[in-house]
Amino acid sequence: MVVQIWSALQAVLNGLLTGALYAIVGMGMALIFGVMRIVNFAHGAFMMLGMYATYVLFEKLHVNPYFGFLAAAAILFVLGYATYEGLLRRIADRSDFMQILLTLGISLIITDGVQLIFGADYHQISIPLLDINVKLGPHISLNAPWLLSFAITVVLATGMFLFVMKSRLGRALRAIAQNRYAASLMGIDVMRVQALSFGLGLAAVGAAGGLLLPVFYLYPTAGDQFTLKAFVIVVLGGMGSVGGAAIAGLVLGVIENLTSLYWGNEWALVVDFIVFLLVLSLRPSGLFGSQRV
Amino acid sequence: MIRPSWLSRTLLLALVVGAACKGGDEGKPAASNTFRIGVVTSLTGSQAAFGQAHKNGYSVALAEINAKGGVHGKQIELVYYDDQSKPDQAVQGVAKLVDQDHVPLILGGFSSENTRAMIPAVTAKKVPLIMPTATADNVMETGSTWVYRICGGSSSYAGATVGFLKETGAKTIAIVYENTNFGQANAKAMKELAAGAGMSVIDEEAYQANSPDYKALLQRVKSNNPDVVYFASYLIDATTLMRQSAQVGLNPKYVTSAGTGFAAPEFPTEKQAGKYAEYTYSVSQWMATSKYPGSKEFDAAFTKLSGAHPAYHGMEAYATLVVAADAINRAKTEDSAAISEAIRATKLTTPFGPIEFDAKGQNPHQILITQVQGGQYKVVWPGDQAEAKPVPTPAWDDRH
Repeated sequence: MVVQIWSALQAVLNGLLTGALYAIVGMGMALIFGVMRIVNFAHGAFMMLGMYATYVLFEKLHVNPYFGFLAAAAILFVLGYATYEGLLRRIADRSDFMQILLTLGISLIITDGVQLIFGADYHQISIPLLDINVKLGPHISLNAPWLLSFAITVVLATGMFLFVMKSRLGRALRAIAQNRYAASLMGIDVMRVQALSFGLGLAAVGAAGGLLLPVFYLYPTAGDQFTLKAFVIVVLGGMGSVGGAAIAGLVLGVIENLTSLYWGNEWALVVDFIVFLLVLSLRPSGLFGSQRV
Repeated sequence: MIRPSWLSRTLLLALVVGAACKGGDEGKPAASNTFRIGVVTSLTGSQAAFGQAHKNGYSVALAEINAKGGVHGKQIELVYYDDQSKPDQAVQGVAKLVDQDHVPLILGGFSSENTRAMIPAVTAKKVPLIMPTATADNVMETGSTWVYRICGGSSSYAGATVGFLKETGAKTIAIVYENTNFGQANAKAMKELAAGAGMSVIDEEAYQANSPDYKALLQRVKSNNPDVVYFASYLIDATTLMRQSAQVGLNPKYVTSAGTGFAAPEFPTEKQAGKYAEYTYSVSQWMATSKYPGSKEFDAAFTKLSGAHPAYHGMEAYATLVVAADAINRAKTEDSAAISEAIRATKLTTPFGPIEFDAKGQNPHQILITQVQGGQYKVVWPGDQAEAKPVPTPAWDDRH
């Protein structure tokens, strides 16, 4: 019995470590959805780009991935800004369906482009940190790279939350989320702020990709499963709420790990989507109410 | 009505003419100065490491056979189709190789999942398929008379592992397998044979091979405290499973496996599992130290070509092409049915071992058990072929 409690606790802790990465992926998606009402089907593809950026920096220039992820975030910010200015802006006033098709198209182009350049092979990096396990008592052990990425994500997520809640630009973001016409009448440059928030959303997912690289493997469709997870997180956190998405990411990580522990690994994804459907049908405003951004 | 401009009309004309020319080329049979054999394997994608091993193995055999004059006095030309590690692409490969390249027989694919998918296609097209590496037993259970397999299957893997474990006194076993044809077939075979040998299967865990996180799964296995874990995994998942086994402190007495990822030459290197591979057991179809003549020469030629020693996947590809060339020469024709009958009558001794096919098309092949010791695969079972003594897997905390 005691052993069982320890193993449940271990699973919850591992779930929080994984969940922190989900959280930041989901926060990026929530920010984009909240400010632009765009469902970004290319979210996972952009994450994969962040992974490749970090990978190339590591392999070619020997940049440690725990610094490289910052470069990945910066690259994706620029890419996000450019994507908005070049593509999304043109259809900002058109139907949601067009935006879905556009982001889906972007996703295919990125994935196949990466496959053309890097091939479909799997890559994995090996860093000494992977060999370190931090023991908390006789029953609990946590892998150092996951702990480090958790710490970094907490800083990033808090920073992002404070930015949205406290900064002037953050206030503009929330104003647009509430009513973009009223916001533009108040003198907010809606297009520019949207471009910035698309860049910021992608920077978040790019950083997550970089942080995931040491503990995952890399291939052109590596991001796809995270697009789906990001949908679940955004719905769970209350459509477009950045803070809600952070908590939803953690919750999802814990749910997955406990499902794996008690039911088996093959059920983890099934349970993800059962949660998704339940929240959509029973509590469409999300677990934490419906405030936007 | 808008009249098309001269530009669009010219473009249209160019397109039509272009398409017609392309169509004209496709119908032509291959140039007749070479003998073309089709190969489907996974040169890219999650199983690229194995597909490359295939390609190197085929290349060594190709150079050898062509140096001796090829088949029917012609040089052999291998026409590769890369299935990108995806089963639907493997099926498309069969259609492309048969309909466009007009090959009379096909070798491949790499994985059980992809190979199984190719069988209805080769059967419908009446083209023989020689399978080098698909271990799932169901590839031999389709009733197709066009398939031949040179490697041992999942029951022989489980049989050898159980035979080895019986000598160790292990009683309980947990099976952890990737959830496609390869993993499922090997789990099923182990479940049946372990029970028959008096061992109890106390845990079965299926997993999706692309997950970043197997820790909860491994914790489950740990809580059942089995004497033995039997993994059926490809390369990248094998590496992640072993790294994370250390993280959760999973310490069975014997970490055994259905080969593949656990038998890949990259597995015990720093690029993959490195020190986490130490002490793991694996089944093996062939080792460079094999008693069959030609093994050392193959090892040397393969190493020269690829820069690394071969695992059994490369040898299986080599032996497959040797069997194909031998059958084509005996068939004395390019007709698929005649070649298929010649394959069925094969009686060869290759470096891989003796090869002949039973009524179903299966070559009975002996399976070895290896253990990673000092970063090298060493044969530890059966006793008459052992190079080293098996060592029980020490607990992670006791290693340094």
